[in-house]
Amino acid sequence: MKIRAIGNLAILAATVALSYGMQVSKPHYAELTAPIPIDGAMHDTVRARSFDVRLDKVVFARTLKTEQFGQERLLTTSGLWAVATTNLAATGTSTTVADGTWQGPTGLRYHQTERLSYRQDMPPHAVDPGLDRSGLFVFEVPPDQIRGASVLIAARQFAPLDAQARISLDALPIGADGQPADVLPEYDMDAAVPSVQGKS
Amino acid sequence: MSAVSTDLEPAGDDRQAEKKGRRRSLVALAILLPLTLAETSYDSVREWLRGEDLIARDVEFGQSVPFGGSEWRLADLRGGKAGRLPEHTFAVIATFSVTVGDPDLQKQWLGCKVMLTDAAGRRWLPDFISGVSLPDGVMNCTSAIFSGAKKGDVITVGETFIVPEDAVKTIRPAVGLGSERPWFLRFQRPPK
Amino acid sequence: MFKTARSRFQTWVTAGAGTIAALLVAGLMGAFGALPAHAPPQLPPDAAIDAGRWWVQPARAYVSRAKVYGVALKPGQKALVLETDLTNRTAQSDKAYFNVFKPDGIDLPDPMPMIALARDQTLTPELHPGMTERMAYVWPLAGDAIVPATLSFGITAEIFKPRDNLYGTPGWFNPYRLGTVTMPVADLPESGS
Repeated sequence: MKIRAIGNLAILAATVALSYGMQVSKPHYAELTAPIPIDGAMHDTVRARSFDVRLDKVVFARTLKTEQFGQERLLTTSGLWAVATTNLAATGTSTTVADGTWQGPTGLRYHQTERLSYRQDMPPHAVDPGLDRSGLFVFEVPPDQIRGASVLIAARQFAPLDAQARISLDALPIGADGQPADVLPEYDMDAAVPSVQGKS
Repeated sequence: MSAVSTDLEPAGDDRQAEKKGRRRSLVALAILLPLTLAETSYDSVREWLRGEDLIARDVEFGQSVPFGGSEWRLADLRGGKAGRLPEHTFAVIATFSVTVGDPDLQKQWLGCKVMLTDAAGRRWLPDFISGVSLPDGVMNCTSAIFSGAKKGDVITVGETFIVPEDAVKTIRPAVGLGSERPWFLRFQRPPK
Repeated sequence: MFKTARSRFQTWVTAGAGTIAALLVAGLMGAFGALPAHAPPQLPPDAAIDAGRWWVQPARAYVSRAKVYGVALKPGQKALVLETDLTNRTAQSDKAYFNVFKPDGIDLPDPMPMIALARDQTLTPELHPGMTERMAYVWPLAGDAIVPATLSFGITAEIFKPRDNLYGTPGWFNPYRLGTVTMPVADLPESGS
């Protein structure tokens, strides 16, 4: 009888320990349904589930110049504009790549700007298999969030368990003061060659 | 609660019956758990199947097949270089001749998707190409849905695509409709 | 017989204890809830206020009869405008600033303001972590609405929960009235700001 009682107690203790261990080690719902990061560096092709992306260059500027309804607009910012040029292609099926986020060194997330009106070279980017196209992602970031940052690119903004390319920007030239080595006073969005194709 | 029930020692017969009952419950669990899983996931699985073009139904060139209440036939597939497209890419136009059967196209053709597939299983959706337009009298699938076509009408549905050079040799046009998914039609190319 | 009666009593006590405790707690909470609530405090108009997701610092308030920050008014309408600095205190870009300010004691045809970025008139852009921006809240008013010379704006804040009760995800919940800011309201002539 005594042995049985001790046995029961042991089983109880073991169950409590196991349950506690499971409780503290259980991932949270937010972690379980988070996007799945796929790491890469600048100039590398990062293969996400539905698209491939290569971050070619990042240009920093104090103001952006765009044309909207035939009128020139100068967009200022309290930080810096970061214009990331990417090369995109679909892997299996034609799809869109719509979401870009600048993640600072401490994890602060700067979502792509909403201050530019719709443009062909801005998200959502329509991509086809086997056909490379270039697409821009434009961010507003404080200068102290550039060293050690990465750019996150996903097909959609809220996509649990879908792939998210996480491209580290360690290759960016940074000056001694921690600021980007080269900041343009003004970046003209329309100086680049406009694209001739798009989704109907 | 256990403090209350252990006061009474069950008789031998009761014990046997209890053992049997427990065993039955265990067996029932093994059957009921998978059943519950199937029941709770049924709707999601069905909805997923309704939204995906998964199973190809191959169609010979020149053949008409009923699909979404109408008769579909591949009319033409042609590709070529378009002026301002990048190198190693081709513009492709696929057109279908459709004899309307069930005129409720807004229901039958909901989510209409014309695509190109290649030998590797890649799929291209329609693109807008500046300088390349559909021939006269050809409409894309969405405008066909709202064209008010009646039973017996023969309409021509077409789309333009941009395809890389390495896929051009093996591309085959395909059509998916909301009312027929997960099945879709995959047409044989016209003979050269 | 005696044994079963006792065990039945035990069962009742075991089952009932939880219920009694719950009733007591609920009763107490109800009693505290019935106490008169504290009035929301007056907040200083010239310092940044910690309002949950946002640091807010109101700059000025005025009534405009012309288009302000790109927000067009219907004919015969005027608008109450509150210009304020907003800083995102969270770790990600956010635009949940619609309910932060609400003018007290004024009849609003539409309680939802139009909110524009003062920098370039973009309507309701996301604001990024730590990047302070001047925003203009624009409430359209009936043309004959009377606006007092000083007006108090209620500020609503939310609390951060590292894990919410439903999904265990972090987020901002339980909006509450943080306090009020009293501002002089200038009445701008026809020409606008």
